[in-house]
Amino acid sequence: MIADLGGPGPACSALRVRRFVAGELSGVERERMQAHLEGCARCQEALREIEAEKARVLRDVPFERFAAGVAEKLAAPVAPRRAWRKFVPIAAAAALLIGIGIGRSGREGDGVRTKGGTSTRLYQKVGAEVIAVGPDGVVGTGPLQLELASPDRAQAVLLLVEGNDASVLYAGPSQAARAPFEWVGPASSATLVTVLSDQPLDAESVRRAVAEHGTAGVPEGSEVIARPLVRGKR
Amino acid sequence: MATVSALRVLPGGRSGNEPGPAVSADRGLLAELYEKHAAAVYGRCRYLLRNDDEAKDALQEVFAKALRALPEFRAAASPTTWILRIATHHCLNLHRARRAAWREELAALGKDRRVESEPPERRELVRVLLGAAPEEAQEAAVLYYVDEMTQAEIAQQLGRSLPTVRKRLREFLACARKALSESLPGIVLPEGDEP
Repeated sequence: MIADLGGPGPACSALRVRRFVAGELSGVERERMQAHLEGCARCQEALREIEAEKARVLRDVPFERFAAGVAEKLAAPVAPRRAWRKFVPIAAAAALLIGIGIGRSGREGDGVRTKGGTSTRLYQKVGAEVIAVGPDGVVGTGPLQLELASPDRAQAVLLLVEGNDASVLYAGPSQAARAPFEWVGPASSATLVTVLSDQPLDAESVRRAVAEHGTAGVPEGSEVIARPLVRGKR
Repeated sequence: MATVSALRVLPGGRSGNEPGPAVSADRGLLAELYEKHAAAVYGRCRYLLRNDDEAKDALQEVFAKALRALPEFRAAASPTTWILRIATHHCLNLHRARRAAWREELAALGKDRRVESEPPERRELVRVLLGAAPEEAQEAAVLYYVDEMTQAEIAQQLGRSLPTVRKRLREFLACARKALSESLPGIVLPEGDEP
């Protein structure tokens, strides 16, 4: 007799159904999941399980008991952190990336410069090494970090732009601009857009403007540095 | 700030092995986290531990861990994925302590079937077979067979290469096949199902 252990289906994933229910899917993904759910018995079953879990926890561990239990655990001495590291290799890698990335300067001219001489630098952690990503923007998998070098404007917003979707990586003083992130998902290319200004920048409106109109949408008087991000092998 | 699905912001500036700050449970925050994540975490703990009392304790332990790492939790691209992984890891550690029991559980799984011509329930079988697999393969197997993440997503999540993830899933399958042939010889896994 053959027993199938399952695994992800072509469009089915129990975790994606969970993320859908939790409101963690963005625009296109959410719409795709909604449409898929309507016709997929397997994902509908996953949805029913999630609802059953909800009823179960309310019955077995009502909030008051839960809160008391968590408070008790928090009052207990913290377990050694060594095991904890295994949960967050990405955070640890990011810290390492920061530590090394600053010490190692990228090649001059790696980023596109503004008239005032501001440039961006992109680093990637590959195994134990941190490398400067070239102007072609080809990156493999692993944590990335975008930084500004010699900024001549006071404020900066760093964005990741994929088609008509943009996301804020960093917003604030350009001197401190540093954005560790990981580029995941199906897209094969994206653009890293840096907007610089001496006026305060509203990150959300800059993001929306760039998502809708590209780099032409940035506020008047600001400067832009765009560099490609291409998925490839490193 | 909007979030692009393809972006994961990485919290920086912490080495990950420093003791966290003292944490107290803010009631409003706790209520929000309970509402959003307790059901999934409790479900995962019950699934992996098969004991409601242990699952209740694990649920609280997992949330205490999440609160101690709150900035990372908040910054996660998918808080659901993040906290489920903490839960899975916590329970697998407990599960491992009892790994000797998997042979008996596997035999019991064979006997418990209502209809002998039907294979045991899929996820139950995965859970018992975890005990037969090495530590490194267990988490990958949960992410693949229970969370139904693709290998690429698992690689991303674990911070490993795709070949490593594939290797671990194959290890799990090889151990699972061996365990079945020893304890439930009537049941085989489909051929050509290599991840």
